[in-house]
Amino acid sequence: MKNIGTKLAAVAFVLLAATPAMAGKGGSAERIRDAVNTSSVDAIIAEIERAESIMCPDCVPIVTNLLEDNRYAVREVAGWWFAKRPGLKDMMVPGFLEDLKSGNAIAVRNAADFFGATVTYQALPAMRDAIKRDIGAEGKLALVRAVGTLGNKGGNAVLVTAMADTNDEVRAAAVTAYREIRGQKDGTPIVGMLADPSANVRAQAATVVGGMRTAAAVGALENIVVNDADPVARRNAAWALGRIGSATSRDALTKASLDKSTIVAGVAKAALASLR
Amino acid sequence: MKNSLKTLALGTALVTAAGAAGCGEDDVTIGDGVDTLIILQRPARNDMGDIFQYTSYVPKTASGKNARLVQLSPPTADGVQTTICCDKAGPEYANIDISGYDISFDARQIVFAGKLAANQAYGLFVLDLEDGAVRQLPTDPGRDYTSPIFLPGDKIMFTSNAVVEEGAPQHRDEYERGTTLQIGRINVDGTGEELGPRNLSHRTFPTLMSDGHVMTTQWDHLGPMNAGHLVFMNQDMTQLREAFGKEGTGASNSTLKAREISPGRFVAIATSRNRTIQAGALIDVRLGDTVTDSKGNVSADHNKSEANATYRDLTPDVPHDMTPSAETIGRYYDAYPLNAKDKPDLLVSWADGPVESGVLGSAGLSANFGVYLYDSERQTRRPILDDPEMWDVFPRALQTRSAPPVVASSLDENMTGVGQTIIGSMNVYDSTLFSFAADSIYGVRVSEGFSSEEGFPRMFGSTMFEGMATLGVARVRADKSWAAYVPANVPLRVQAIDNFGMSIGSEPVWFSGRPGENRFCGGCHENRTATTTIDPGLTDAIAAGPTVFVKTTAPREDRLSMDFSRDNIVGVAWDRALQPMFTQKCVSCHNGTPSAANPTYTITDGMTTLSWTFDLRGNALPAEWAELGGDSHFTASYLSMAGPDMEAFEKGGFMIVSGTVKQYLLPENARESEAIMLLNPTKQFPTPSSERAFATTPHMVAKGQTDLTADEFYALILAADNGVSFFARENNPGVVAY
Repeated sequence: MKNIGTKLAAVAFVLLAATPAMAGKGGSAERIRDAVNTSSVDAIIAEIERAESIMCPDCVPIVTNLLEDNRYAVREVAGWWFAKRPGLKDMMVPGFLEDLKSGNAIAVRNAADFFGATVTYQALPAMRDAIKRDIGAEGKLALVRAVGTLGNKGGNAVLVTAMADTNDEVRAAAVTAYREIRGQKDGTPIVGMLADPSANVRAQAATVVGGMRTAAAVGALENIVVNDADPVARRNAAWALGRIGSATSRDALTKASLDKSTIVAGVAKAALASLR
Repeated sequence: MKNSLKTLALGTALVTAAGAAGCGEDDVTIGDGVDTLIILQRPARNDMGDIFQYTSYVPKTASGKNARLVQLSPPTADGVQTTICCDKAGPEYANIDISGYDISFDARQIVFAGKLAANQAYGLFVLDLEDGAVRQLPTDPGRDYTSPIFLPGDKIMFTSNAVVEEGAPQHRDEYERGTTLQIGRINVDGTGEELGPRNLSHRTFPTLMSDGHVMTTQWDHLGPMNAGHLVFMNQDMTQLREAFGKEGTGASNSTLKAREISPGRFVAIATSRNRTIQAGALIDVRLGDTVTDSKGNVSADHNKSEANATYRDLTPDVPHDMTPSAETIGRYYDAYPLNAKDKPDLLVSWADGPVESGVLGSAGLSANFGVYLYDSERQTRRPILDDPEMWDVFPRALQTRSAPPVVASSLDENMTGVGQTIIGSMNVYDSTLFSFAADSIYGVRVSEGFSSEEGFPRMFGSTMFEGMATLGVARVRADKSWAAYVPANVPLRVQAIDNFGMSIGSEPVWFSGRPGENRFCGGCHENRTATTTIDPGLTDAIAAGPTVFVKTTAPREDRLSMDFSRDNIVGVAWDRALQPMFTQKCVSCHNGTPSAANPTYTITDGMTTLSWTFDLRGNALPAEWAELGGDSHFTASYLSMAGPDMEAFEKGGFMIVSGTVKQYLLPENARESEAIMLLNPTKQFPTPSSERAFATTPHMVAKGQTDLTADEFYALILAADNGVSFFARENNPGVVAY
C-alpha cells in the first residue's frame, strides 16, 4: 500500500473536507465499501457506477485502493471513476508515472491500466520506456492493453517491442492491439508474426493482416491455411485470404475447404467465393 | 435424457412459492403442432448486467457443463432432453459458449452465435438439424457477431462490433465502456457479408416481422435523449424508422428482445439499461390500432406509428427500472408468443428473486433463468425446464414458419454518388414535433456525430452531447423541399435553421443511410399515419440538385476545418474557434473579477463549498471545478458559458448557497440562450446583413465595444446548437503525437 499512500497524499486537500456522511444521491462511500467487502466484481462495478457523479471525498481512498486490485475489471471501473473526476485524476498521474519507472510488474500493471482507463495520452512516452524493462508478463500485458485502449500511434513502439517479447501472450496481445490503433494502415509489421512459434500469435496475426488487407501476407497465409497444425490459425488465415482476395490463393483455399476441422472448411469455402 | 426429478422439483417449488395457480402438477401443453422445443442453456453468470453486454464468456459450470442447444420433446416438464449442439461437433467446440440462435424457416437449420475460447470472438455457426453437422461462417475473427436471425432469401442478419467504414474505429458506448454493436447481414453460405449504416450507439436484438421488416432495439443518445427504443428497417438495413418508445409511448428506459405476436404487435422486455441482466417486465406492444378477428386473435398493424403505439404490462409486479425484483416476482429474460390472444400465452425465461447484478454479486449468486409457460391472462407460470447451474433461455418451438417476402434493395449509387446517401424531405414544415411559422426556415443544417473512439476523453463537454462536425446547410426551396448528399454509414443529425443560422427545430435522434440509399421523408418528422406521397422527383430540391457539402466525400479524419468562418466551420473547438474572440473582445470586462459584469455563485453539497465567478479567459479550470465542469482540459470561459455538468450537479446533491447558476449557452437552443439574446446576432442567410435577430440593443453596442463579426456570431450560435461541447475534431487530444 506504499503507492496508495503516496497517491492519497496527493489528493489530501479533498480528504480534508471528508465526513462519513452519505454523499449525493444513490451512491455512497458506505455502499462502495460494502461492495468491496463482498469481493464481488459485479457488486463493486455496480456501486462504483452508481457513484459516477457524486462529489464524495470518502469514496476517494476506497476507489484509489481499487486501482491496485488484482482484478482488471475492478481496476478498470476504478480508473473510469477517476476519469470522471479529472482534477483528481491529474493529481494521480505523477505517482503512476513514477510507478511506470519502478520496474515492478504489479506497479507497472496498475499504472498502465490507470492510464488506459483515464485516457491519459501523456503517459505514452513513459510507457514506451517501461516496455523495454524487465517487468514481467503481467506488466507488459497491461502496457499493451493500455496502448490498445488509447489507440494513439504513439503506442506503436510499445507494440513493436512487445511483439519481440519472449512471452507468447504478450506477443499475441501486441499483435491484436496493433489493429486498434487509429489511422493504422500498414499491416506489414505483422507479417513476420505469421511465422511465430505460438499458434495463438499466428492466429491473431492472420486476423490482423486480413483485417488490414495486407497483400504482403498472402504467401504466409497460404502456407498457414494448408500446413498449420492449429485449426484456429488455419481458420483465421482462410478468412484473411478471402478478405484480401488474391486469385493466387485459390489452390490453398480449395485444399482448406476440405479441411477436417469444420471451423476451417466452412470459412475456406466461403473465402473461395471472395477471390478475384 | 430425462429431465432430472431434481430439476423438475425445483421448478415446481419456484412456481409454488410464487403463489401461481394451477401449476406444477400437470404436464404443460405448449400448443397444437408443437412437439419439440429448442432451448439454449448457458452456464449461469452475473457479468451481463447491462443490456448491451455481449462479450461475456463462461465456458463451464462448476460441474463442467458448457453452453449447449438442447431439444425438449415432448415440450413438457417430463419431456426428453437431448443435446443437439455442440457436443459432437469436434474438439474445437469443447469450451464453446453460445449467446443466441435462430431456427430457419424450414426448421432444418439453426444459426447461432458462439465463442470457442477466451482468446476468440463470438462468431456465427450453422447447425444442420438433420445430420448434426456444424460449420462456421467466415466472419471477422477479431470482431464479435451475435444475435443472428434468418432472413428470407437465404440470408442471416446479425449484430456486430465490426465496422462498416474501413479502417475507422467503431463507436464507443461511454457509460458501459464497451464497443457498440451495429446491424449486418450475410448469406447462409457465408458469402456476401454486408454491414449496415451505423448508429452512434448500439443496435441489438433484431427480430423478423411478418411483413418482411426487421425490428431491433436502438439506443438513442443525443444530449438529453438517452434510452433504448424499438425501430424497424428493411431487410437490406435501409429506411430505418422509429416504432416504439419515444413520443411518450415507452414503458421503461429500455425496450428489447421484441418478438412478433401478430402483425403490428410484439412482446418485449421493458427494463433499465444496466444491472438488470437484460431482464425485466413483459410488455405487449401494439404499434397501431388493434383489430380482433373472429378467432379472438388481436393484431395492431393499422395506422402504425410511434405516436399511436401503446403497450400493456403483462407482468405488472415486475419493476421496469433497476430496482431489485422481489422474491416470487423476479424478472423475465425473453418471451416467445404461442398465440395472438388478447392476453397471449408465452414461453418465457424467468428467474426468481432480486435479478440485479449488484445484489446478486454481493450474495455470490447468479440469476437462475428457467423455462416456463406463462399464461398472461391468469399471470401464472408453469415450469418446463430449469437447470440451476444453467441459464435456460430463448425457448422456441421447432416448427416450420412462413418466410415473409424478400424485400428487394433499392440502393443505387449511380443516383447518390459512390459512398453517399441522399437525405431530404418533401415539405420541411410538415412536422408532428415542431410548429414552424410560415417561411421561418432558411435551410436544414446537417451534422455528423461521433464518439470518443476518435481519441477524445470520455466527455465532449459538460452537456452530455457527442462530438459533432457540421457538414453544411441545405437551403429549403420554394416548394419547401430540401435535399443533400451526405456521407453514407455515419450518424447524422438535422436541424431546421432560420435566417440567423439559429436552430428552430432539432431532430432528437441520430440517423444514417447506406451508400446508394435515398432517405427522403415527407417532412420533418411528419405524421406517420397520414398518407404522404414521397416522390423526390417532384421536388424543387431534386430538380435543382441536392446540396453538395464540401466535406461529404472527404475521409473521416479530414472532415474538419481550422477555418472557422461561416461557410467553412465544421467543428466548434471551443479553445480554437471561440476563445480568440473572447480574448480579443470580451475579457477586458469578463475576467473573473467579481463585479456586476462577472457575477459569482456559490454551491455546496453539504461537505464541499465551491464558488465560481464569470470569466471568459482561456485559463484552465481549477481542479475542484474540473470535477463539476467535466474535464481538466475545459477552460474558465467554457465553464462560464456552458455551466457545470448539470447531471453531476443534480446527482451530487448540490445546492445553491448564493448567486445563480446559469448556462449562458443552451444546448441545441441558441435562439433562447442568454448570451445569444444579449449579443443579438446579425442575419446570416442568404447573405450576411446588419439586421438583428432581436429588438434589443446589442450588448457590445451598448457597451461601446467592437461588435462580433458575422462569422463570430455564427460560431457562437453553432456552439450552442451543436450542444455546447468543448471538444471537436479540431482540438482532439487523441490525434496529437505523444
